[in-house]
Amino acid sequence: MNRHSNAPSFDRRRFLTVAGSGVVATMAGCLGLRGGNDNVVLDEPDAYDRTVEADVDWPIYGEQIPTATVPAPLLDRSVTTTEFTGERHTLFTFIFTRCPGACPGLMAVLRHVQADSVENDYADEVAFMPITFDPEHDTPSVLEDYEQRHGVERSLEHWFTLRPETPERAQEVVEETFGCMFERTEDAESDSEGETMDMAFMHTSLVLLANKDGYVERAYTGDVPAPSTIVDDARTIVEGW
Amino acid sequence: MQRRDLLAGAAALSGTALGGAYVTGFIDPLGSTGSVEHVELESIDAPGSQAGEITVPQQGTVTVLEFFATWCGVCSRQMEPMGAVYDDLGHHDDLQFLSVTNEPVGRTVTREDVANWWADHDGRWTVGLDTDLTLTERLDASGVPYTYVIDRSNTVAYAERGYKAPDELADPIERTLETR
Repeated sequence: MNRHSNAPSFDRRRFLTVAGSGVVATMAGCLGLRGGNDNVVLDEPDAYDRTVEADVDWPIYGEQIPTATVPAPLLDRSVTTTEFTGERHTLFTFIFTRCPGACPGLMAVLRHVQADSVENDYADEVAFMPITFDPEHDTPSVLEDYEQRHGVERSLEHWFTLRPETPERAQEVVEETFGCMFERTEDAESDSEGETMDMAFMHTSLVLLANKDGYVERAYTGDVPAPSTIVDDARTIVEGW
Repeated sequence: MQRRDLLAGAAALSGTALGGAYVTGFIDPLGSTGSVEHVELESIDAPGSQAGEITVPQQGTVTVLEFFATWCGVCSRQMEPMGAVYDDLGHHDDLQFLSVTNEPVGRTVTREDVANWWADHDGRWTVGLDTDLTLTERLDASGVPYTYVIDRSNTVAYAERGYKAPDELADPIERTLETR
């Protein structure tokens, strides 16, 4: 943590700069660089051109879900991230359970889709794969408590909380394979409002929604998406399939 | 984009999340003003709350509304300031004061779980459910806790994510009560 151990406000400003340039790019209109996207149901996301231009590391609209095989310790098996291709639409997110901020929201978003899938009869058409990048702390029993706290329904056999075996493996899977950045921080830091808290990682807030063919329909990043946004998108894909 | 930039972005995201809400806003959550169409919500049997149906926001009253979830640590902390404000201002005849959970309630998380959480956190006012996210969507509440003050004509006067101290909550409520 030396590269960006400087004040979060600096980083925040950088982020705002990027966001600001996106507005300009959007206003400048379509860059016309992409081909048609026959592999997806959803329309092109907002600011797609900017995201393409930014060359982000995570897969975006129309790209394939990366492959990695990771243990699902609560189910006593391993799961390959692409193993549901042809069978289920998939949702991924990347979390650590000590996270006080974004991660509970990311879990909640997946939970909302799970609840909606039960309510609207598509539970056997979706799979959920939250992946921890803090295996040292997130032991199987910690993950079990976390699922419990969030009200995850475990009897439906479509929820796979994944735990890379080691920090090195977490790095490979989460950062190198999925392009979701995380970095260990000092244990106690102050946020921009001066509140001290215990934050073990800084990380990209990322949810991926991929269709049955294994193509990413949406990569939600930046702000934690509103649950209704993802529920609507998931329904649209289920119905449009 | 270079890794450095990505990390900067990532840091910013987490940095803004540190306050406890998902992200403390640099965008206007509502983006527009105008009155909020009311919703019929189920209220549950819990301390200070009766099972039934409530209209939110109730036109002609000032509505104080906090979205929460039982898994949310900051929401636990928020109960004390909410309680202080309720004790102080909740007696107003024309004030609708409530908390609403928008987590999926009904199967794994039951009404009883919510009521127990409510009792554990010394809740003593109306608590409702927005399981289908209708009100959440209408108010564009993208995280929890998220607090709203809505005026008598059902226009949002205040909308803030994250932990709020009693004063921060009381100010917009008093201001809205005074506005006729």
